[in-house]
Amino acid sequence: MSTLTSLARAIAAERGAAQPACAVRHLHISERPLVFIPLALAGEANAPLAAMVGDSPRAAHMLTVAEPRDRDQRFAFAAQLAAIVLRYIESYFGSEETAGTREPRIRYADAPQLLVPNPAGVAFTRLLGRSTRFRRTAGPYAVAETVPVLGRWLTFLTERAEHPASSLMLAVTDALALHWATGQSPVEDLNLGALLGWIDPPPGRTGAQAAARAEDPVRCPPAGPATDPTFDNEVLEARLLAIRTARATGGGPPMQRATAALTSALATQLEPTWTLMWRAVDLLRGLPAGNHVAARWDHDKDAFTWHANHLRDGGPPQPRRDGAVSAARRLAGLEQVQAEYAAQRAFDDPLVMAEHRMTGEAFAGTVTAAEPGRVDGSGRRRVLRPASPSRPPTWCSPGRVCPSPRPRARIRRRASSP
Amino acid sequence: MSESAEMLERRIDRLRAAVREAVVAGDREGARALRSELKSAEHAWEEALARVEGSAPEAVQPGTGERPGRVTPPGPLIPLREQVHQALSLLTVPAAPRLIVTVHEAFFAESFPVARLTSLRRDEERSFRSAPFARPYYICAALAADLLAPARGLLAISTWPMEKRVIGPLSPRVHFLTAAIRVAESIERIPGPDADVRRLLWRFAANIPGATGSAAAMDPRAVAEAAQAELQVHEAADLDVRRAAAQRGRRQLDDAGQLFGSRLQVRQPGGRAARGSGTAS
Amino acid sequence: MNGTEARLARIRGGAVPRSHNARTIAALASNPGCTRRAVLDAAGADKQRLAAYAGFPAPFGQSRFALTRGNAFEAQVKADGAAELLRLLREHLRLPIPEASYDDLSEVGGNASLELRHARTRSLLARTARSASDAADVAAGSDAASPANDACTASGASPAGGDSPAADIGTMFDHPLLRLEVGGRHAYLEPDLIAFQVCGQFHVIEIKSFAVIDGRADGDKVAAAAIQSAVYVLALRDALAELGVPPAAVADETILVCPENFANRPVAVSLDVRRQLTVLRRQLSRLDRIDDLLDLLPADLTFDLGPDDQGVPRRAPADLAAAIRQIEARYAPECLGTCEMCFFCREEARGCTAAFGREARDDLGGVEQVATVLRLARATPGAGQGPGPDSDPGGDLAEAAELLRTAARLRTESLGQRPESLGAAV
Repeated sequence: MSTLTSLARAIAAERGAAQPACAVRHLHISERPLVFIPLALAGEANAPLAAMVGDSPRAAHMLTVAEPRDRDQRFAFAAQLAAIVLRYIESYFGSEETAGTREPRIRYADAPQLLVPNPAGVAFTRLLGRSTRFRRTAGPYAVAETVPVLGRWLTFLTERAEHPASSLMLAVTDALALHWATGQSPVEDLNLGALLGWIDPPPGRTGAQAAARAEDPVRCPPAGPATDPTFDNEVLEARLLAIRTARATGGGPPMQRATAALTSALATQLEPTWTLMWRAVDLLRGLPAGNHVAARWDHDKDAFTWHANHLRDGGPPQPRRDGAVSAARRLAGLEQVQAEYAAQRAFDDPLVMAEHRMTGEAFAGTVTAAEPGRVDGSGRRRVLRPASPSRPPTWCSPGRVCPSPRPRARIRRRASSP
Repeated sequence: MSESAEMLERRIDRLRAAVREAVVAGDREGARALRSELKSAEHAWEEALARVEGSAPEAVQPGTGERPGRVTPPGPLIPLREQVHQALSLLTVPAAPRLIVTVHEAFFAESFPVARLTSLRRDEERSFRSAPFARPYYICAALAADLLAPARGLLAISTWPMEKRVIGPLSPRVHFLTAAIRVAESIERIPGPDADVRRLLWRFAANIPGATGSAAAMDPRAVAEAAQAELQVHEAADLDVRRAAAQRGRRQLDDAGQLFGSRLQVRQPGGRAARGSGTAS
Repeated sequence: MNGTEARLARIRGGAVPRSHNARTIAALASNPGCTRRAVLDAAGADKQRLAAYAGFPAPFGQSRFALTRGNAFEAQVKADGAAELLRLLREHLRLPIPEASYDDLSEVGGNASLELRHARTRSLLARTARSASDAADVAAGSDAASPANDACTASGASPAGGDSPAADIGTMFDHPLLRLEVGGRHAYLEPDLIAFQVCGQFHVIEIKSFAVIDGRADGDKVAAAAIQSAVYVLALRDALAELGVPPAAVADETILVCPENFANRPVAVSLDVRRQLTVLRRQLSRLDRIDDLLDLLPADLTFDLGPDDQGVPRRAPADLAAAIRQIEARYAPECLGTCEMCFFCREEARGCTAAFGREARDDLGGVEQVATVLRLARATPGAGQGPGPDSDPGGDLAEAAELLRTAARLRTESLGQRPESLGAAV
């Protein structure tokens, strides 16, 4: 958060509609993303209740679990989900490209992209990956072969979701909130309906009015994975009981009716969110992509290729916990990526750059002279250090090192001359 | 005068939304009223659907979810109170309904819903009061040692001496360990214990130090020995408390009170302290 | 009924009073400046009903699935003399084998009245604390009270058998009832369980049904459990203080019992709540005594929703809303997850930067009104400031004004570099 973004919130509140927080889009949006909306049963660690998943607005698959506490049914759900997700992922194995100039390597020409509504959706997917990737496919408690494969892919994707520069998996509320400032608080921005109400209010309504309507869970079901408690208590409980009763009395038409009733009830909780998700995708696509987006997506393609090969070569599933060394390495890597990502966004986007200028981390000045061949002989070795004396704002202090627009270059401010 | 199924469906959807909104509004009475309206609408819908299908509607018994006319499995060969008596006799200590049901399922291959036990103690007390000692045994309460009130959620057998029917602070643990020993001994007498039985044993073994390494490696003899070892630590102190409480109970309580406990009633201003035996109204 | 009780009863109107619990106390303590909440909670008003009737229903319900699961897990952990819990305490605290007593404080002689249960809880705690120190004395062989630790390392176990104090030293106290003073009034609190270890301390135990997976759990839920358990620690320390027992007798670490991974087997986790204790103590002492708050309010203030014979409340919603507004609130986005009045107060707070969150308000130089922010941002430097609620020629606002002007300038500049189709200037 910064003064500029907060100022944008203030403007949004005044105008009744969200204001741009970015001039360009900093995330890659796939031409064919896979939208995944899970619903979970309240009170359990990770009990899927239903899901809607598909790679285009008219291609929604709906999955339901008639007895969410039943372990076998949980893994049957996972198998059904695996069929859809794995088919989607494997569709990207079809075309390849060459990458790298010094050491050319082959990678897939494009990569899948998984979209969930919110950070809680990422957490659910992570847990689903955790609960499936170690399952055995033979012996007691066996699951279908596709289930552990699904688990490993979901775990891979949720790990990438934590990676600042990756777009392989996105929480849509985060993606939208990155680019627009609403007139409400960040907490309220976690509600997909409210967020879209500010960004794209219906005609005749202010952002605040549209958001308030979206907060009514009876009219606009929450995007999940948590369901609305009144839905649970007044609708879902009765439907699940009907299924249990029908099963106890031997199935047949009552079972079919009960299952249909459950599915239609759950559909009322999923369909509105499905519509919102694709609206969000359209809005994000409407922004022009920043200059570095393609390069970051190339890294994603590399990561995707690597993981696909790892699976194919029979590599082991991701461990339950990081060892100390790998954790430290991962953290250090993430910090570096975070810094690079921040710098790239600043150079791609004047609004982002403006934030850094406010805090003095960046400056814009006028170059007054140039010494491209200057060599710094003060240290042990003589090194090439071009100098560009310039007139920067006063808040950039001597000795400060800043990133430069050119990759792998940095700028150090030396003592200023009067 | 009957609405079509489609109209009913729409009305049901509206009512459901209205119930949820009433709940959100904190309007409990309104929600209750709407819920009963919803129920009759759902019932009407089932009837309308059945008419279309040409079959009789399946009436739902309120509260039980059971439908009359379905083929019920043959009832148990022995009454509920005898099943409870069987399970408790195996355990030889007071036990909670859930454990009683699990033990009976495991060793006597017959299950009954836990809910049926909630009224058993009250029914037994009524039966005793109307004709004391008429039956050879009664399913009665276990009494808390301090105030001799019925301990929550525990059942015992009236023919046990009072010392066995009172609960001191260490008694829950002592009873758990004793039950473990009895269960382990019973398992040893079974040629091929099935999954239910092993699950029951694990319930004890997992929570007794030294009883077993893992669920797979359980040995009833080892479980019983481990339980006995810990039992020896607590037995004496627990017995002291129970003996003293039993003496007091025999002195202070009448027959019904000794079986079903006495409830503490707060002294009313200007009135007598009401400390009677039997259940409070 | 004393004066305060009478006043609070009039405010509440005819409704049945709702009582405080650890969750509401924790929420209250996190926003001590909100008089509205302090008064409504002290009066035991049904905030959900009031907010809804005033036109701002807020969805605060609990799914029965979650409740059922929570109850079932707690029942499982406490079954058979708390057998599973005892295993966890033996592993986690190294509780010695002889210490396995279980006392159920949910009823006293079959009577569940709060006063009785509270009295019995205190008497059992007193007996435990006294017996434990007696046992320590006996084992150490000295007259002066010696630290229990020394006695324990010497003897290795608490003395057993006969009429030794060990029989009176409880180990597990189930459904104890404690009291805590909140805003000058007492609130009854019911922790899940309190455990006592002779060579150690009292521990507050919280049983929750969210899972701990690979050693990690949902951060928000753990934080909520931590602060709730800290409330219980405070209440327990207060209870023991009345008996002359020092606060160190209650551990700074509470124990959270949760299902492990995806199964039902419980696992115990320690929660260090020292920070939460400090914050709670400070916030609770800041909560103005309720009398002082009531003195500021009109004597006839009431939120009564007494119905007419049709069952509809007699007063109009707008009237109720006006009554609510007589008590000052302090809205922050955190209220959205913790208070049923949140939408009502949020609507009131429109146009305040507090509605964006504390960070955003700080980002905007601490300026309180959105209108002021925009006015300062758009003003040219040195232009005269007109009259208004935030009018402040020079002084505090000067710094904020400079900050906002710079931000606005940078924003305009940056937006100007974009294609026109994407938006207008500030």
